[in-house]
Amino acid sequence: MTTTDLSRMTRRGLLALSGAGLAAMMLPDAVFAQGRKILVIAAGQDIPNFDPHIATGYSASFFFRNVYDPLVRVSGNPPEAVPALASSWESSADGLSWTFKLNPAAKFHNGDAVTADDVVYSFERALRLAKGNSWMIRGIVEPGKVTALDAGTVRFDLAAPFAAFLAVLPWIFVVNKAQVEANLGADDGQAWLLANTAGSGPFQVKRAQAGTLYELERSATPWQPGAGNLTGVIWQIIRETASQRLALQRGEVHIAVDLTSEDMDSIKDAAGVVRVIEPEYRTFSIKMNTQHGPLADIELRKAISYATNYQAIVDAAGYADLMTGPLPNGIMGHNPALEVYRQNLEKAKEHLAKSKHPNGGITLKMVHVNGLEQQRRWALIMLDSLKALNITLDIQPMLWPDMVAACKSPETFPDLFPVYQTANYGDPDNIAFAAYHSSRNGGWQNAVYNNPAVDALIEAGRKETDPAKRVEIYGQMQAAIVADAPDIFGVLERRKLGMRDSVQGFAFTPVASNAIECHGLSI
Amino acid sequence: MLRFVLRRLMLLVPVMFGLTVMMFIIARLLPGDPVGLAAGPNATQAEIAAYARDFGLDQPVWVQYGRYLWGLLHGDLGVSIFSRRPVLADLIAYLPATMELVFAAMALAVGLGIPAGLAAAVWRNRWPDYASRVAALAAISMPRFFLGLLLQLTFAMWLFWLPLGGRFPIILEPPPTVTGFLTLDALFAGDWEAFVTACRHLALPAIAMCLSPLATIMRMMRASTIEVLQQDYVMTARALGLPPRLIVFKYVAKNAVSATLTVIGLYFGWLLGGTVLVETVFDWPGIGLYATSAIVSQDFMPVIGVALVIGLMFMLVNLLVDVLYGVINPKVRYT
Repeated sequence: MTTTDLSRMTRRGLLALSGAGLAAMMLPDAVFAQGRKILVIAAGQDIPNFDPHIATGYSASFFFRNVYDPLVRVSGNPPEAVPALASSWESSADGLSWTFKLNPAAKFHNGDAVTADDVVYSFERALRLAKGNSWMIRGIVEPGKVTALDAGTVRFDLAAPFAAFLAVLPWIFVVNKAQVEANLGADDGQAWLLANTAGSGPFQVKRAQAGTLYELERSATPWQPGAGNLTGVIWQIIRETASQRLALQRGEVHIAVDLTSEDMDSIKDAAGVVRVIEPEYRTFSIKMNTQHGPLADIELRKAISYATNYQAIVDAAGYADLMTGPLPNGIMGHNPALEVYRQNLEKAKEHLAKSKHPNGGITLKMVHVNGLEQQRRWALIMLDSLKALNITLDIQPMLWPDMVAACKSPETFPDLFPVYQTANYGDPDNIAFAAYHSSRNGGWQNAVYNNPAVDALIEAGRKETDPAKRVEIYGQMQAAIVADAPDIFGVLERRKLGMRDSVQGFAFTPVASNAIECHGLSI
Repeated sequence: MLRFVLRRLMLLVPVMFGLTVMMFIIARLLPGDPVGLAAGPNATQAEIAAYARDFGLDQPVWVQYGRYLWGLLHGDLGVSIFSRRPVLADLIAYLPATMELVFAAMALAVGLGIPAGLAAAVWRNRWPDYASRVAALAAISMPRFFLGLLLQLTFAMWLFWLPLGGRFPIILEPPPTVTGFLTLDALFAGDWEAFVTACRHLALPAIAMCLSPLATIMRMMRASTIEVLQQDYVMTARALGLPPRLIVFKYVAKNAVSATLTVIGLYFGWLLGGTVLVETVFDWPGIGLYATSAIVSQDFMPVIGVALVIGLMFMLVNLLVDVLYGVINPKVRYT
């Protein structure tokens, strides 16, 4: 730029130029150029605490996936188990016995070798505390049935065959027995592990400011192969999605994990920003009260299922796909050819005529999470859809704890209850068991639905080790659930991540994809 | 005055006791199932019951309250059922951020509001008065969160002058904690660069917070100044030929400010309890955000802890204001 150019420049232009210069100084890249390669992730959720056998949520999953190691990790699309602490494994033909060989290079952050004793201790601690992710192995792994054969080999004798065993292992993390026992206290080390770590993961905690940020740095005892060039990671808490988007656009963060469809639209052409929009196993459905009130009548449930405007539901969801039945699209065993309910007012009226309320004229109650705009939109779509059946809808926004409390009995459960369900592990057993098995009755994932035949199919599916037979079982299960019409099968919202184009090595996995694993990433 | 202060401090005890009773009862009367929520979506009823036992929530309410009071006397404000972190430790981490923001906002509001109100009264029905009236209307009618977003867009996104949010750049180490106020801690550490950085982060949220009290203080100051200007002693001073500047600054302003002090005290409490929107927009890690997330999940102990702290601060600030009346106006007697 010559002096002549400068003299022609407007004040606004000058401001913009100086602003851009200032911005360049403020961007993290300038700091990273000093030899530090720190990946910054913007997320709305604080990490509740550091105990891998207690804390849950995607922020906790992010922390544990990077600071601790499980026996196996989940990777790929479709997801599959890959070695972590265990370098290899084998199972008996009946699926009851699993033997894992530990990687001899594995080391905790304090330099101790990871041994089979640590694995045994961690599983038993998880079962003892009965919190966090321990529900995934409850009734499958029993205390005393995890055995250290030698320092580098551990065997699990399962109480029952469990086809999803490898799929749940990435969520049970291994702690350093010696460190936890040295700080045991009266509560099994819970107080100590709230704010301290005893892991072997690729990163360790550098600083933690609750509610603000968590900075991880590379482990002092790195042993995992395939590391990227990151020297550290910051989990920065930015609660507003709009603020996450702005920070991403400014280059202040590398990844934003909570962006909405509107945010994704607005960064479509943003310079230096890459959008990741991928299908994930996170279902949205509207559960109906199959036990109490007007919707205990299956004909009325079918009438409503046919009256629902599914196109409007998927349109309101932004980046989403319509569900085909109770299982997430694309997951093992999902039947894409399943005949499900689609809007058909003739059929809706046929079923209404067969119900106890052939002329409608009733009022149903639908709740939704107060402040969750997406759910409010879906409630309004239901209000509009049910008008065709002369059914009115009483929409009541509620706080989530109040909604959870309403799930305790069929009498308190509303007629229509919208709910998101996220697959914690990439196996059909997860959603099937949580959302449709009667043992979950009283909880918000499946408050009332109870069909012994479906229960039997779910149990058979989790015990069967032959994948082809499992597909068959889950096919029958899906058909049986659709026939019962307990839910209005809604949408699968796609995972929406915003990323700077400087992030390299990221591969999408449709399980816990917002709990980013950073080991292999580079910037 | 010492007796007055001591008596007011003694009064804190029953007030705080009443606050604990009220908050405890409200928290327990709320519908909802926070324990079921905290135990997670896949917890069995037996596990939820065990969870409740862990936190003593299976006990009768009066037993729970007794334990809480006993803990309170020993400096224990309970534990969050979600994070399992002690509430006291959380408050120590979050409160300084809110206090720093509130002090900065009040400093701006008082520092600009009082001179502006004074000017509007002195030049009544002339352009400074009209300008301040329009500014006050605009400031008081603008929602704080919306103003926050506008400020972010203008100064952080378009002009790149100030940071988007947070208290300090995440990639830098903050100065060693002494007071918890980053600005003061930076000064104590002699780190001028950190002080400027902390001020730059503080600027936008403090501006967003200060406008409403600024407008009120400005209008209050104007009204009380006009009232004082019409007093006989001011007319006497004018008749004696005292310079107008001396009359305004020495005799009018001092008396007019004492009426505005009440508003300043009340606004302090109002800001303390109402930071949540600004804290959300600017990701300011203060007690507003902490309390909101606790309220949404019905996490009792943090909610009660925050209410107690805000109540205590509110009463202390109002006590300070009452003391300041006497300092500014010697005619005030403490009884």
